[in-house]
Amino acid sequence: MTRAPLAWSMRIGLCILGAYVALALISLVWTPYDPLSPGVGDSFLPPSVEFPLGTDRLGSDVLSRLMAGTQYNLGIALVAVILALVIGSALGVVAGYYGGATDIAISRSVEIFQAFPGVLFAMLVVKAVGPGVLNIILVLSFIGIPDYARLARAEVQSRRNWPYAEAARMVGNRSWQVAFRHLLPNSMGPLLAFTSINAAFVSLVTASLGFLGLGLNPNTPEWGNMIARGQDGVMTGEWWVSFFPGLAILGMTGAFYLLGDALADLADPRRRR
Amino acid sequence: MSSPLLEIEGLSGSFRSPNGALTPVLHDVSFAVPRGTVTAIVGETGSGKSLTALSILGIQPPTFQRSAGRILFDGRDLLTLKPEEMRGIRGRRISIVFQDARAALNPVFTVGRQLADVHRLHHGGSASRAMKRTIEALRAVSIPEPERRARQYPHEFSGGMAQRAMIALAALVCEPELLILDEPTTGLDVTIQAAIMELIGDLVRERGLTACLITHDLGVVAETCDRVVVMNAGRVVETGTTEAIFTRPRQDYTRRLLAASQLGETPEMIEA
Repeated sequence: MTRAPLAWSMRIGLCILGAYVALALISLVWTPYDPLSPGVGDSFLPPSVEFPLGTDRLGSDVLSRLMAGTQYNLGIALVAVILALVIGSALGVVAGYYGGATDIAISRSVEIFQAFPGVLFAMLVVKAVGPGVLNIILVLSFIGIPDYARLARAEVQSRRNWPYAEAARMVGNRSWQVAFRHLLPNSMGPLLAFTSINAAFVSLVTASLGFLGLGLNPNTPEWGNMIARGQDGVMTGEWWVSFFPGLAILGMTGAFYLLGDALADLADPRRRR
Repeated sequence: MSSPLLEIEGLSGSFRSPNGALTPVLHDVSFAVPRGTVTAIVGETGSGKSLTALSILGIQPPTFQRSAGRILFDGRDLLTLKPEEMRGIRGRRISIVFQDARAALNPVFTVGRQLADVHRLHHGGSASRAMKRTIEALRAVSIPEPERRARQYPHEFSGGMAQRAMIALAALVCEPELLILDEPTTGLDVTIQAAIMELIGDLVRERGLTACLITHDLGVVAETCDRVVVMNAGRVVETGTTEAIFTRPRQDYTRRLLAASQLGETPEMIEA
């Protein structure tokens, strides 16, 4: 498979993501209608000038809800991915660099946890501790940590005896400085490439939890909730209620993939242009 | 004369194979590196010269087991120091230039940033001051356009330029008392080898450094080094001033080594 040229995947990814960020920011101060109030129009009005993306079963404006939903889906994905990247990489670097008992303790815990299906774990935890943005962020970052840890561990372990690591020790760097300031930056490529896959996964799980009614309060304009609210209309011809939030999820997932590709290239100076 | 900066006394040891068998590789290695001199340790591959040098900094391979000996640096036995004390010596008092300079530079940072980081590690100060000193150091090792070069990544450096940058790092940024050079010119073009050796000689004389040069090439020793330690099969064969070793070698092995590099006036060469 050939990849899109760096500049293009970067540009397209950034443009789409930028549009989502803009949408989320605008929704903070203005949406065409109140996204939370039902009955701003009749039930299941098709897309029109008055309601560009139609209305749902309760007569809420789909466009307003979609805009407001960007805050939740984008915010949850970004925060969860950054948390998982930071915590997972740190654990992996420590395991890979120090080895021995530290490595065994970290690697085994990560593997035990990984043997449990992530989505199921997320569902159980959210069911147990209750819905809420913070809970969802924490559980989604938690299920991402093992992958980052294993990636970072493998990268650092393969590089810790390379000449530049040796050279860094020989000029008097402390071991944590060699691990985090010299080896981690060299391992950023695969880690950043993985963030795109992880962000796409997190977006999908967020929407899945919402669709199953486990995520946020059902009235919250989160995209998964919106798809769930529209599912009874899909069969009877009111496609727009579920279609547009689905499209929004697709676009965000795609943007994360493109951007992750470009970020991985940026981490390597030889591939930078 | 003051005591030598570095004294290795009776260093012996073996490699331990995975099944526990010991293969002796160093036999009672002893020599001294007097202050302000360049001492060359010369020998073939497998003679134990690099192992000895790496032991000074405590970076011998983990399979090496020392059975006897001391390594006295400025009167203190380095082999008895705690890891934390050893770290205080690395870079500050003893630094090393490796054979493959391009591999010893971190590929994701600019060369200037790496040198500046080490400068700040040892001398503190602001980032801009460290970068200024880095550029001065790069200029001192005759890297053209040091301001531009400092902003480049290691893969944009040639082998010779990278070795100059490493020498700037190890000798000028770290400002050590003892500089160890582990085959610094191996793998470089002959003309560049000569230029690098000249640079090392100049730096040592101008800055009053003490240097320990590990090499298998007697050709690079003659003009730069004050003293030579010849090693073979884990033993010190002969020690003396460069002049004595080159003109009056006492041991047969030294003569053969000289003949191989076609430098000394050995009987075989005169006959030929």
